[in-house]
Amino acid sequence: MENLGVVFALLGAALAALLAGTGSAIGVGRTGQAAAGIVTEDPSKFGKVLILELLPGTQGIYGLIIAFLTLSNIGILGGNPNISIAKGLLYLMACLPIAIVGLFSAISQANASVSSMGLLSKRPDQFGKSMIFPIMVETYAILALLVSILSVNAINGMNI
Amino acid sequence: MAVVQMRRINLLGLRKNRKQTLELLQCRGVVEITSLNKEEDHIFHRMDVSSSKTQFQQMQQSASQALGTLDSYVPRKTSPLAILEGRKAITLKEYHTLERKREEILEIVTTINTYEKEIHEKNAAKLKLQMQLEALHPWLSLDVPLQFSGTRKTSAFIGTLPEGVTNEMIEEVFAKALPESGIYTQIIDSTTEQTCVFLLVNRSISEKSEELLRSLGFARPTNLCANAPKEEAKQLEEKIQRVEEEISAAEAGIASYADKRDEITFLVDYFSMREEKYQVLGTLIQSKRTFLLTGYVPAENAERLSKELYETCGVAVEIENLSDQEQAPVLLKNNAFTSPMESVVESFSLPGKGEIDPSSVIAFFFYFFFGMMLSDAGYGLLMVIACGIILKKYQNMEQNLRKSIRMFFFCGISTMVWGFLFGGFFGDAIQKISATFFGHEVSIPALWFTPVKDPMRLLMFCLGIGIIHLFLGVAVKGFQDWKQGAHLDVIYDVVFIYLFVGGLILLLFTTSLFQNMAGVKWDFSPMVGQVATWITIIGAVGIIATSGRDSRNPVKRILKGIFALYNNATGYLSDILSYSRLLALGLATGIIANVVNQMGSMAGGGIGGAILFIVVFLLGHTMNIGINMLGAYVHTVRLQYVEFFGKFYEGGGDKFHPFGIHTKFFKFRED
Repeated sequence: MENLGVVFALLGAALAALLAGTGSAIGVGRTGQAAAGIVTEDPSKFGKVLILELLPGTQGIYGLIIAFLTLSNIGILGGNPNISIAKGLLYLMACLPIAIVGLFSAISQANASVSSMGLLSKRPDQFGKSMIFPIMVETYAILALLVSILSVNAINGMNI
Repeated sequence: MAVVQMRRINLLGLRKNRKQTLELLQCRGVVEITSLNKEEDHIFHRMDVSSSKTQFQQMQQSASQALGTLDSYVPRKTSPLAILEGRKAITLKEYHTLERKREEILEIVTTINTYEKEIHEKNAAKLKLQMQLEALHPWLSLDVPLQFSGTRKTSAFIGTLPEGVTNEMIEEVFAKALPESGIYTQIIDSTTEQTCVFLLVNRSISEKSEELLRSLGFARPTNLCANAPKEEAKQLEEKIQRVEEEISAAEAGIASYADKRDEITFLVDYFSMREEKYQVLGTLIQSKRTFLLTGYVPAENAERLSKELYETCGVAVEIENLSDQEQAPVLLKNNAFTSPMESVVESFSLPGKGEIDPSSVIAFFFYFFFGMMLSDAGYGLLMVIACGIILKKYQNMEQNLRKSIRMFFFCGISTMVWGFLFGGFFGDAIQKISATFFGHEVSIPALWFTPVKDPMRLLMFCLGIGIIHLFLGVAVKGFQDWKQGAHLDVIYDVVFIYLFVGGLILLLFTTSLFQNMAGVKWDFSPMVGQVATWITIIGAVGIIATSGRDSRNPVKRILKGIFALYNNATGYLSDILSYSRLLALGLATGIIANVVNQMGSMAGGGIGGAILFIVVFLLGHTMNIGINMLGAYVHTVRLQYVEFFGKFYEGGGDKFHPFGIHTKFFKFRED
């Protein structure tokens, strides 16, 4: 039972990579379909459309960052993976913001991105603005990432 | 801060000088010609150029088509870097030589297009012949023609029956229905779809047999030919071969013009230039002997151009200042450091009336933010080297591309600086390599501090930078107000905001909550807190009192003011917090780089480990650079567009489109 701490912590890391990654996969899949449609009509838009396509891909990376930070903090990647249950649960909590916000924000961002691609296909000169709309969604993923990073980092220094 | 000053140029000339004048204007490419605001009357009228324009368009299209054909049969040897090379420069002399040859080139174009059409037709014909041959295939072993209908005494049936029919089955059916007469059947070919049969019966039962066969599903072949199938097939094959020869002859014909490619590309450009010229010609007001032209010209070019026009073309030129109401087209001019920002500004919107060109204001922070978000010395070094080589090697590159590359060059420098400050060189590659392969860990110390170890410190720094950036935006707003003569607005829109937001921040500094979070210990005297409170209150009251100054109704005014205060308070809070992305994306680059290095070093030292490390290192860091450069670019742009531009910039200007030489393949060099 005393080993349960690392189990919870790993669950947190796994959730961060899993949920945020799933969100990004769904998101990039959705934007990819729209992107392919636009490139069919006008191959010269590939570069711009690619940027819009990749926007929902970042949440998966944020999830990976938190997962990796957690893994290296709890000593799974070499070291002594022996932490208290309380600490393990704290890690699990710390991972949740990016896990859950990552999942939903990636999907919403993909929807905004697809609409922006529509904008881009009709008004190619408005690329700058079309990029801003999906980026607005990303802010919340970044805030969640920030909370997760700060928490994971703080837990590492805690003495419980 | 350089929106180029525009002047209006009015030009009156004799019609005989028209061609020369337009050519000079097109060559210089500094005048945007606008339609003269004048009705046509019995003296002045506009020329109808639509038919000539259409004609040039068609010629340009057929030249482009010929070029495409030529490219598909004789592929051009191009490297992926060809786009960096820019358009080929030709001298005016070469231009005139080629222009004289245009009829000749046009003939080549027509020939190529005819060949192409021929190839299309021949291919269709070939396909048809091949299908005929295919249909004939089952009948090859038959040695009478397909249309053979029998001899004097017999009737022959040649055709298909459903699949699985055998000699016996046919004989059995015939024996049952017409028992008194014999038949001869032969299965020519049998596939899963059909059975091809040859049937010979006595002529006397010909009709009955036909009925009988029909009930079995008998059908005659569609292409009845006069020769035996084998013979026919041979003829078809010969025909196909002949068509193929003709196709390859046509292809060779096209290929023989491979060396004329440059001339055809010239023709494409030539006609698009002519088209542009006729477009302008259509906007001119002309009388029997004179023509009138008006447009915008950058002030710096006005003097020289008018002199040149007067001297070489003998036209009367008048340069005048624009009226205050007039919105001139916008042309931006910046130095090497700030000009890459022009495209960033342009993708948002060009400066509207009374606004400054923000390129130079955003330049420093653009590079600064980009570098902070990518923040890896190794990645920065790669960017600097790659962009540096490209800039040095391809001097002829198109201007816009050159600016983008220069932008990434400066971003690379900034990335490198931040990388050294934060101690990242391909993540922790040096530590990992030395520890895995050489046994003892060597590390490069961060010049400032390592963000992963102390993220709170970096967060505070990012938010601080954010406040500076936002206040700069507000200052620019004040500058614009001042320049437009709204001197009091500077106090309303700038000073009050500074007081309100600045006071709040100062107040925050004095709280123990903030000091705990930031991990600092500042001892402020209670005076500071009081002063901060008063500053905030003055700012808040000022905002409430002045923000609704457009309304006359005092109640509405106050309500608007309160709303503005609320807006400012929440707006600045979220704006400042938005700069935390600088930290998040900076950490992202570093951590992914570390993950890559960690994965690479998993196999330990030795040769196998080294190979794994190199493979993982190359793949992983390439991916990381790509993704994080995209992230850094996109979020830098966002900080500029949303947070920074939100404070002072609206845009809405029109781009300056000078009448000039807008070609795809060539450009002109002064001799």
